Amino acid sequence: MEMMQFKDELFDRGRALGFTDMEIYYQAERDTTVRVFKGEIDAYNIAEQAGLSFRGVINGKMGYSFTEKIDEDSMDLLLQEARDNAEILELGESEEIFAGSERYVELHDQAQALRNLTPDVLIETAKRMETVALAFDPRVELVNTCMTINNETELTIMNTKGLNCRTKNNIAIGYLSVVGKENGDVSSASRSEFVLREIGDLNAEELAKNAAQEAVGKLGAQTIESGSYPVILRRETAATLLKAFVSVFSGETARKGLTLLQDRVGEQVAGANVTIVDDPHLADAPGSTPFDSEGMATHRHEVVRNGQLVTFLHNLKTAKHFGVESTGNAFKSSYRSSVSVQPNNLYVEPGDLSLDELIAGTDRGLLLVELQGVHAGTNAVSGDFSLACIGYLIENGKIARPVNQITVSGNFLQVLNDVEAIGNDLHFNGYGRGACGAPSLKIKSLAIAGK
Amino acid sequence: MLSQALVQDVLYAALETGGDFAEVFVEDKTSSTIQMLGGVVDAAVSGRDFGVGIRILNGVFAVYAYTNDFSRDNLIKVARNAGQAIRGQKVDRTIDLRKSLVTPHHEIKLLPSDVSKVRKIEYMRRAHHAAINYDPVISQTRVNFLDEDQKVLIANSEGLFVEDRRVHCRLMIESIASKGSEKQSGLYSPGAHQGIEFFDDLDIEWYAKETARTAKTMIDAKFAPSGKIPVIIDNEFGGVIFHEACGHGLEATSVAKGASVFAGKLDQMVASPLVTAIDDGTIENGWGSLNIDDEGSPTQRNVLIENGVLKGYLIDKLGARKMGMASTGSARRQNYQYAPTSRMNNTFIAAGNSTPEEIIANTEFALYAKYMGGGSVNTATGDFNFAVREGYIVRNGKIQEPVRGATLIGKGIEVLQKIDMVGNNLAFGQGMCGSVSGSIPADVGQPMIRVSELTVGGR
Repeated sequence: MEMMQFKDELFDRGRALGFTDMEIYYQAERDTTVRVFKGEIDAYNIAEQAGLSFRGVINGKMGYSFTEKIDEDSMDLLLQEARDNAEILELGESEEIFAGSERYVELHDQAQALRNLTPDVLIETAKRMETVALAFDPRVELVNTCMTINNETELTIMNTKGLNCRTKNNIAIGYLSVVGKENGDVSSASRSEFVLREIGDLNAEELAKNAAQEAVGKLGAQTIESGSYPVILRRETAATLLKAFVSVFSGETARKGLTLLQDRVGEQVAGANVTIVDDPHLADAPGSTPFDSEGMATHRHEVVRNGQLVTFLHNLKTAKHFGVESTGNAFKSSYRSSVSVQPNNLYVEPGDLSLDELIAGTDRGLLLVELQGVHAGTNAVSGDFSLACIGYLIENGKIARPVNQITVSGNFLQVLNDVEAIGNDLHFNGYGRGACGAPSLKIKSLAIAGK
Repeated sequence: MLSQALVQDVLYAALETGGDFAEVFVEDKTSSTIQMLGGVVDAAVSGRDFGVGIRILNGVFAVYAYTNDFSRDNLIKVARNAGQAIRGQKVDRTIDLRKSLVTPHHEIKLLPSDVSKVRKIEYMRRAHHAAINYDPVISQTRVNFLDEDQKVLIANSEGLFVEDRRVHCRLMIESIASKGSEKQSGLYSPGAHQGIEFFDDLDIEWYAKETARTAKTMIDAKFAPSGKIPVIIDNEFGGVIFHEACGHGLEATSVAKGASVFAGKLDQMVASPLVTAIDDGTIENGWGSLNIDDEGSPTQRNVLIENGVLKGYLIDKLGARKMGMASTGSARRQNYQYAPTSRMNNTFIAAGNSTPEEIIANTEFALYAKYMGGGSVNTATGDFNFAVREGYIVRNGKIQEPVRGATLIGKGIEVLQKIDMVGNNLAFGQGMCGSVSGSIPADVGQPMIRVSELTVGGR
């Protein structure tokens, strides 16, 4: 069924049922994934997928429903489910349908090359990554996952208040995981990188060499004495930690009374050297978007400036709750979700030092390159974390040896207050909105458990 | 969902370029989520997933494609496009689909759609009241109610044509205790492959109070110690240790590539002789149970380790081809968007002979993990980690002060060998297991076990 026709018919039936304002959120994706193992294509996946989210206000309350079956039969299901879901809500504060912003930025679209990318190029790139990794060192045992992905996502939001927002995003991703082996010791390391313009920007050889080098570098790792150590969180691990605790900056978490930063807007919550920004218009960043999931124009916001909490991130509902303006951070993870809050591209502002300089400035400490089990070992309500990790021991400003079978623990707010030095190597983890980025960060001291 | 004639044509189209096996997976799923915060219904979403996955195998090469456009023309087109990745010669063959009936082993009495949302909210409100009234230190509660009703049709070029219906429901209860700026939480999430009648037999108040008790205990707890010490892990969700440390390493996904520490160790001693471990997809109404797996094979009870000896792996059809072994009915996927692969169903360490009291009384010093959180494993290296949700110090044969923030780390095979006591109180806990074919319901289980030494990451 044609989308405009579906929408008009759905809204007509909705009005007859008693809905006042209504909205559809339609997302369509095309995706090709190639996986290579030992020089052969191991798996080839082609995806075409679309889904539609409906929401509407009935008796002053917002009801949600979704469907992947877009046909006439689904209309009544969407409307009835949304009505039933609205009816049971007991919340005093209602959500609103947004009429649209005056102006939206135009983000540069240079993804034409990705749109025309053929599967052969994906296959060739994946094979090249595997070949380079295997040839890097005789201790590289195998590349257990090696894949390339090309994805195109289209999003449309249309509502009865006249809002009509559309975007189309393309992304290509390379990922590999390398296994090293020597004298019965096994190690692994993975790397992934994305490009938004053309596949040629993906430096496949570099990615493969980095993964292979790190896998081999981890061989022979041993534990260390338990104790407090100065710790350099290499950029990926710093971003991982930020992402694990990003809900502390969410107006939604604040509305529920569950953030560590409750009632602390305007106060010093981090060291004066820490500034955290959410910039939805950043070039080549994964979460850039002209509008959020409610259709509001996005803007750059400083969340923490020189250690001071400037604002929580908000959607329309949480902004109304706190009597402020929405920051354009309404978020739906898919058409199956209701509106929540997430950053667009949230990152710790980089400093001047290279990672090598951070290492050289450390007498004795640890460089952490991998944090594991983040979903289990972090408590976003208390800020506490205790995570298995892998890294290197630094002695006299030089990397001495690899370290594993250790955990690092601390509290997220304490970490933000103990940043001793900030790297210049800003890097984003993840794809799509909600991405977090960080440069390498040197932390004064963290508890390490080993032997 | 789709007619037998259409499915047959799609399978023919998929094999035009010489594939030796084709499969169609059709899914029609309705699901509903209700969230309650502090006793107030805060959000509710429901809807319908509908899609078709088409898989073609040629030897050990697999192509997978999916779509939600279920029109005949599109399905044939998607099948042909997928076939383009196989550059072989068409072989003349006849596909003779024979509809077979699934024997239902898991009784579903009340479908989620037969029950009003108001009734679901009543269960939630009971949980909220029990938790919030437990103690003044409990400042907040979160209760979620989830249900889904998944209809699947699985057909393949070997003639299989089968339909099944899976109903899952789950209540997630979280209590939060506050003291000053300090917050700690307790969580319990009972669920089953069963209809809504599951909640009528469930002692909701007990589960809710237990989450409140955990939160209250942890708010006054000091940080766990660090270092290598003995660890006692209690039953139920404690089984996550076997799931993470060993279960994932026994899946064909990693074994077939030689990327598992368990590869090539069949019939070898890999664990303490006290350990027998099983993955059983047939447990009645078990959270991870299924009548048939996502390739249409009946689920089985698979013995993985018997008295310390490695006896078997978890194998799907593609894994079977790669390993030259038979499928164990272990193919699973989150939904039609994932090609199926070898996964766990209900995985547990079998009961031993010691009583929990004996284990505690025989322990001079240890960390006692009463409730576990989640964890993860690197199957290539065997490195695992998991979080302790509620822990205590055991000293001189007695459970003493509570401790918070402990993480357990180690290597899969090493921990299996260091299990030196196994209790007789086998019980199961419900989790969501994430891996290459998405997030699926899986039970973990074990009796209380003692590990002679594990690295504990405290502070």
